[in-house]
Amino acid sequence: MGKKVAIVGSGQTMHGRRFDLAYPELVNEAIESCLINTGVDAKDLDGVVFGTMPSMMEGVALTHFYFADVLRAKGKPILKTETCGSTGVSLAITAYYWIASGMADLLMVVGSEKMNEGDAQATMTTILEPFYQMYFIAGAPGVFSMQSQEWSVRFGIPEEKVRDAATRLSIDHHNDAFGNPYAHIKQRLTPEQVNTARIITYPVRLWDVCPTSDGACAMIFASEKMAKKLGKKAAWVKGVGYSGEEYWFGDSDKVMWQSAIQAAKQAYDMAGIKNPRKELDVAEVYNPFTFQELLYYECFGFCDFGQACDLTLKGMFSKDGELPCDPSGGTLCTNPIGATGLIRVAEAAMQVTGQAGDHQIPGAKQALAHAMGGVDQYNGVMILGAK
Amino acid sequence: MAKRVGIVDVAMTPGEETKDNFLDQVFKVTKEVLDKAGISREDVGTVISASSDVFHSGQSCANAYYWDAGAAMLKNGSRQDGESLFAFIYAVMRILSGSYDTALVLGVCKGSENPENDMITHFYTDPFYQRPIGINETIAAALQKRQYMERYGITDEQCAKVVVKNLGNGLRNPYAHVKKRLSVDDVLSSEYVMSPLHKLECAPKSEGFIAMLLASEDKAKKLTDKPVWLKGYGSSLDSFYLGDRDLLKGELKNAAKQAYAQAGIENPAKTIDMAEICEPYAFQELLWCEDLGFCKQGGGGKLIDKGVTEMDGELPVNPSGGVLATNPYVSRGLYRLAECFLQIRGQAGERQLDKKVKTALAHGTHGFAGQCHAVAIIGV
Repeated sequence: MGKKVAIVGSGQTMHGRRFDLAYPELVNEAIESCLINTGVDAKDLDGVVFGTMPSMMEGVALTHFYFADVLRAKGKPILKTETCGSTGVSLAITAYYWIASGMADLLMVVGSEKMNEGDAQATMTTILEPFYQMYFIAGAPGVFSMQSQEWSVRFGIPEEKVRDAATRLSIDHHNDAFGNPYAHIKQRLTPEQVNTARIITYPVRLWDVCPTSDGACAMIFASEKMAKKLGKKAAWVKGVGYSGEEYWFGDSDKVMWQSAIQAAKQAYDMAGIKNPRKELDVAEVYNPFTFQELLYYECFGFCDFGQACDLTLKGMFSKDGELPCDPSGGTLCTNPIGATGLIRVAEAAMQVTGQAGDHQIPGAKQALAHAMGGVDQYNGVMILGAK
Repeated sequence: MAKRVGIVDVAMTPGEETKDNFLDQVFKVTKEVLDKAGISREDVGTVISASSDVFHSGQSCANAYYWDAGAAMLKNGSRQDGESLFAFIYAVMRILSGSYDTALVLGVCKGSENPENDMITHFYTDPFYQRPIGINETIAAALQKRQYMERYGITDEQCAKVVVKNLGNGLRNPYAHVKKRLSVDDVLSSEYVMSPLHKLECAPKSEGFIAMLLASEDKAKKLTDKPVWLKGYGSSLDSFYLGDRDLLKGELKNAAKQAYAQAGIENPAKTIDMAEICEPYAFQELLWCEDLGFCKQGGGGKLIDKGVTEMDGELPVNPSGGVLATNPYVSRGLYRLAECFLQIRGQAGERQLDKKVKTALAHGTHGFAGQCHAVAIIGV
């Protein structure tokens, strides 16, 4: 296997509607915070990994040019990784391989999005080809509502139960977000508020959906030697997995969802995990929609297929449950897309190093971070450990 | 490098528009390279592609579209934006990490479905200062050429000779898009696109689908009798604003230094047998030759005058015809590497150099006036 790879620390912006800053300044906010938190001097970096969602989200293309100086990348090698919504985890995976290959000892990884400068749903519609799909799969919610309905029908889960479980997740996450200083949407919700909120795409209602956020995340990855030299408490990359399936939405099964199942399996195999629910202490699952989070519990083997609703309603995945999921509030409360997957990795690293503050899961030693991209096409998973 | 990564084989499309659609072309080059190596899709460890949302026929999240056409179905893969040599080196990293023993690298760009390249490069600009001026890659290159002529006395004729050489070389390359037998006068009498750049000094907009199979040392030796090894790689990014940079002292020197150090090359002009240099504007070939250490600073004009970089010169540059002949924006770095590979293997057909090629250099650049450079050195 490759060399051991450590995560030394991270920095995030205050995510939200950031009209107070230009885009490079937003990116800089995360980077400065990251460099201060880790004590790393940017001069010592061997390279930079950067990425966003579609380049045209903010109307600037190939943004590694625009951000070259802010990224402290002048005179350094750069990799520009982009895989739609899964970009953030793909960035972390790029840094993993770069260091595991022995070609670098110290890297900065940055993901960003300033979504309020553009029209996210319009941009996402251009992921679809212009002949067949673009006309009816407009934006993200349509895709996820089709997926959740297919799932509940397949396993005969009553509509009311799915609604109750989704509502539970929505209330929990929006509440958990109060413990996360960087989160965008923080809200105390009642079941009635969630259940009667306006419909976005049936059965998805307003509080089932992530917001449109501006934000950035920066992380420092290091070789074992460099991590020791820096002397910070590090998280270690134990497993990586990534998988993609057919481009055409109707060609693959989105319930027994192979890209999600395979990505998790690759990461578990590498980390030696046999029973994820027992062996993981916390999971940062990419949950832009409550319904999708339920499906991920099943695809990732946290429970059997068809069981996620019952277990969620029993509190299995709550902050004080057996396997807490998204104690940060997750993507549901904060979604600057190009940064979102990397935030999942940063949060997982904070958890296993005991640095998650008010949303710390006590004694967390092993964590999962995940992101999804494309029209339900890609899934990426990273497992982090305290040792 | 501690462990070695080998190039097993390559397949690519010609630069002209064809009747094949996007996905067919991705599938064709993928299938061709796997057939050449005698392996099936299932044997491919990982797939790393290069494409860019803005050079992608109006679709974003570029790699979503061709993921399954490019053999990546249910595989662990990824994508690099802008420069295909990034995808190459990322695939190398994945092999060196020990996780994979084969990697497929794709470069994907269907120029015929894109607007003019400069309409796209205009979107590299920031929205506050550069966007309102209307600046694009050609304008940045014109500023760079003007400075080059003034500081080092490089002449229009010397720049035009690059076009004559490269489009002439293209005549022998079945993959070349533009092939022409031209005179210096022809080049200089073509209209100005942006003074001092004449139309024929600027690269076209081409198709370019390319697939390259890489393997770990042991695996490469099993898959081919003639593996070509990566010897060194370097890349470097420059500042964003043109006014913050000396356009004649860019980051290519730094990228080359990294690559030469890894490859153990002290005298590149002697050690390197041929080079494929990314020259979307003719004068850049001369300038990049200087930065790569093929001649002294300001000596690029003399280099072409003396015929050093001709097919029969001491250090042939762009026997494929270069980017002036074929310019699939994102894929062009990988096309440079493919030509080096074919020359080393002695499989370059009519354009095969009349000398033994043991060590070759491939260069890729993108961004205004060479904001980003990548250099790969391969050899036997």
